[in-house]
Amino acid sequence: MESTEASTIEPTVRSAQQGDESAQRELIVAYQRRVAGFVYAVTGRSDCVEDLCQLVFIKMVRALGGLQAPAQFEAWLFRLARNVCIDHLRRERLRRIFVPFAAEHSEVAEPDGAVDSEELDALRHALSRLRPDERALLALAQEGRSQVEMADITGTSVVVVKARLYRARERLREFYQPKNNHDS
Amino acid sequence: MKDENKAWRMLEQKAADQLRGDFAGRVLRAGRGPSDAAWSELYEVAGDQLRLGFADRVMRAVRRRVPSLAGQFAFGALVAAACVAAVIVVHRRESSRIEAQNLAQWQSFLADDQVMAYRQ
Repeated sequence: MESTEASTIEPTVRSAQQGDESAQRELIVAYQRRVAGFVYAVTGRSDCVEDLCQLVFIKMVRALGGLQAPAQFEAWLFRLARNVCIDHLRRERLRRIFVPFAAEHSEVAEPDGAVDSEELDALRHALSRLRPDERALLALAQEGRSQVEMADITGTSVVVVKARLYRARERLREFYQPKNNHDS
Repeated sequence: MKDENKAWRMLEQKAADQLRGDFAGRVLRAGRGPSDAAWSELYEVAGDQLRLGFADRVMRAVRRRVPSLAGQFAFGALVAAACVAAVIVVHRRESSRIEAQNLAQWQSFLADDQVMAYRQ
C-alpha cells in the first residue's frame, strides 16, 4: 500500500481541523480503503470491517482538532485504527467468556466470494495464526509506516519494533502455505 | 546389483509420487512469504466491504450530537440529588406517620390507664 505524500494531504488536514466538512469528507474518502484493509488484516473478519472503519473515522473527525502535527496525520490515523481494532478484539475475547458458543460463531468461515484466490486464502490463514499485535505490525509495515512511526504507534522502542516485526514476518512465512490450484 | 538399483528407483518414485503438483512452486512461494499481490487483494476485499456512501454515513454519525462528559456528569448528579431528596421526603413522611401512630397508641393506653385508676 502506498502512503500518500504528507505535503499533499497537509492542507486538507488543516482545513478539516478547522471544521471544514468537505475536507473531512475528502480525508475519509482518501483513506477509507486503506483503513478497511488494515482493519481486515488485524481482525481477520470482513463482517466487522465497515463498523470498525466507521468508528475509526468518527474518532478521527472528533479528535482531529487535537492533532499537533498535520504532517503526521497518516501515522496518527493508523494509530487510531490500531487502537480501535485491538479494543474490538479485547471486547470480543471478554464477550466469549460470557456468551455461550460465541467462539464457535466467530470461527464461522467467511462467506463465499469473500476469498478470491489461493494466495489470499493462504495469507488470511497465516495472519489468523498470528497474535493481533503481530498482525497490526505487519499491516503497519505493509502500509509503509517507518519503524520509528511503528514504535510511536505501538508505544514501544524502535529496537523492540524491529525484533517483533522480524519475528512476525518469520511466523507469517512459517504459516503461509499457498495450495496449488491444480491440487485436488 | 541391478535389482538393488531398480528397487532404489522404485522407492524414489514412490516417495516422489507423494508430492502434490507444482511442489517446487509451492515451496518457493511459501519461502518467499505472501506477495504484494496477495496483500493488495486483501486490501481490495476489505475495501469492497464498505457500502456505497460510507463517507456520508460517517459524516452523519459525526454530526449526531453526543452528550459531553460534563453534561453526562451533571445529569448523573441531578438524578442522584433527586433520589436523595425522594428518600428524605419518604423517610420524613414515614417517621411522622409512625410517630403519630405511636402517640395515638400511647394516648389510648394512657386513657385506659386513667379509666382503670379511676375505677380503683
